[in-house]
Amino acid sequence: MEFIRTGVEVDVASSVGEGPDLIVQRLVGGRQAQIPAAWIENVSATDGVRVATPRVWGYAEAGAGRLITIMGVNATDYGNVFGAVGTSILAGGRFIEEGDTRKMVVGQGIVDMMAASGSSLLIDVGSTLSLIAYNGSLIEFQVVGIFTSESRIYSYDLILTDLTSAGAVLGTDNISYTDIAVWVELGSNVNSVALQMDTSISEARILTKGAMGTMMLRTYGDRAGIVALLWATVLLVVVLLAFSASSAGSDEYRREVGLLKALGFDTVDVLEIRMFEAITLGLLGASLGISSAIVYDFVLNAPLVAGYMLGWNLVLLNGGIPLAISLPTVFTVFAVALVPIMVATVLPSWRNAITEPDVVLRGV
Amino acid sequence: MQGVSVEIEKGRVTAIGGPSGSGKTTLLSLIGLLTRPTKGKILYDDKDLSSVSEVYRTRVRRNRIGFIFQAQYLIPQLTAIENVALPKLCMDVPRSEAERQAAERLVALGMSHRLGFRVAELSGGEQQRVSIARSLMNSPDVLIADEPGASMDEDLTAELLSALRGMVDEHGLTVIVASHDQKVLDWADKRLNMRDGKIVT
Repeated sequence: MEFIRTGVEVDVASSVGEGPDLIVQRLVGGRQAQIPAAWIENVSATDGVRVATPRVWGYAEAGAGRLITIMGVNATDYGNVFGAVGTSILAGGRFIEEGDTRKMVVGQGIVDMMAASGSSLLIDVGSTLSLIAYNGSLIEFQVVGIFTSESRIYSYDLILTDLTSAGAVLGTDNISYTDIAVWVELGSNVNSVALQMDTSISEARILTKGAMGTMMLRTYGDRAGIVALLWATVLLVVVLLAFSASSAGSDEYRREVGLLKALGFDTVDVLEIRMFEAITLGLLGASLGISSAIVYDFVLNAPLVAGYMLGWNLVLLNGGIPLAISLPTVFTVFAVALVPIMVATVLPSWRNAITEPDVVLRGV
Repeated sequence: MQGVSVEIEKGRVTAIGGPSGSGKTTLLSLIGLLTRPTKGKILYDDKDLSSVSEVYRTRVRRNRIGFIFQAQYLIPQLTAIENVALPKLCMDVPRSEAERQAAERLVALGMSHRLGFRVAELSGGEQQRVSIARSLMNSPDVLIADEPGASMDEDLTAELLSALRGMVDEHGLTVIVASHDQKVLDWADKRLNMRDGKIVT
């Protein structure tokens, strides 16, 4: 669960990191509505705005319950902003250019989807791919690039094209847009720019990266709170198990300490032996646990757990659940494994070691 | 224990007899420094060890006393050779050397074919031989044995007594043994009888 939770956080961070500093949406009656072209000028005129570019986007079904994202952007604006849509295009491809029509850059998920469908058509640069438009017609596109991205949530199943082509697929006109992506000047305060826009443009909803990250985390990671409860439970179980196995109430352990003292081992020697034993067992246990978790998550895709953690949002993740192994998580696992076991092992051993061997051996 | 005053002669075998619950094991524990008396002294070569630090008493046990426990107290997860090597390990002898010496002891007791077997895989008599081998590992001055013939047949008991007699005669080993076995009691140089925590004869 920690790997999934960390994976979601890392993926969300990548998604947000890859995108614009601000997103301007229009709300009418509490619902998102198309943005008129006139807004672009107002947004661009706001102090601190470097680039304000319109976007048209929506979802299309790709069969078998899968959704893909279709996004139309201004090729020049987007192409000029570093890291706008993913870290790089795969070798042999390119981003869309000014003047391109019916050209697309696709995420790796689109390629994987076609490959998995058993179709003889394998997506590559230069391939022709048809999309079903809003009215049922087929629109042909040519693939000019394939994304490689650190974010499976964001661009894995993304199709990026020009504004007009996206509008043709999604059924929008050419004079309104889904939202406006904004990048601020270096050194400008994003929140100040957002506030300016919010106060000067009525019906506007301004999303900052922080807000976007929070929303995405809520969407994909809301149930991670259960992890804290599980940690507490696991910790308690570990302590109880270790204590019951090694406590003075365990005859075998107790007699062992008494015997070692009778044979001439000092109290310090006994504690060293017990500590070494506890550390070895703790490290082995933690390593086994982490290895099992890696197999369960990365190889088996965390059956049951992923569904619980991500809920219906799992359906939206065509690229599989995001997973990440963070050093703090690994460190925490080892600490949880080692510290309680050492305390539960060494303390009873110390108690027995300072007691007379005869008393310990006989269990009096 | 009630008013027990006993002198154990060096280089001799002293046997303690008496019914169960008479205090034989308690007396052995006191002599072996496994417990402290509530009153009185325990003198080794005129040095009172009843009130010295536990660290000192541990060192004396390590260097001078060997134990054969009635319940043997072998560590079940270890093999025969590992159990016997334990007393050497607390003297910081390298493990390989300790196990070599342990193997010698076990071979001398007819256990050459069982060195690598875990305790649970050994018969009662074999476990007792392991216990005996362990007690002699540090070449003690004093060997304290609580029912050493338990779990052993007559031949093996006779063999053990003969070996111990050899060590007494040749190396001046002092043996203190508690037993119900008349043969063991008769084999000793000196015999004490206990009843209800007292020495009666």
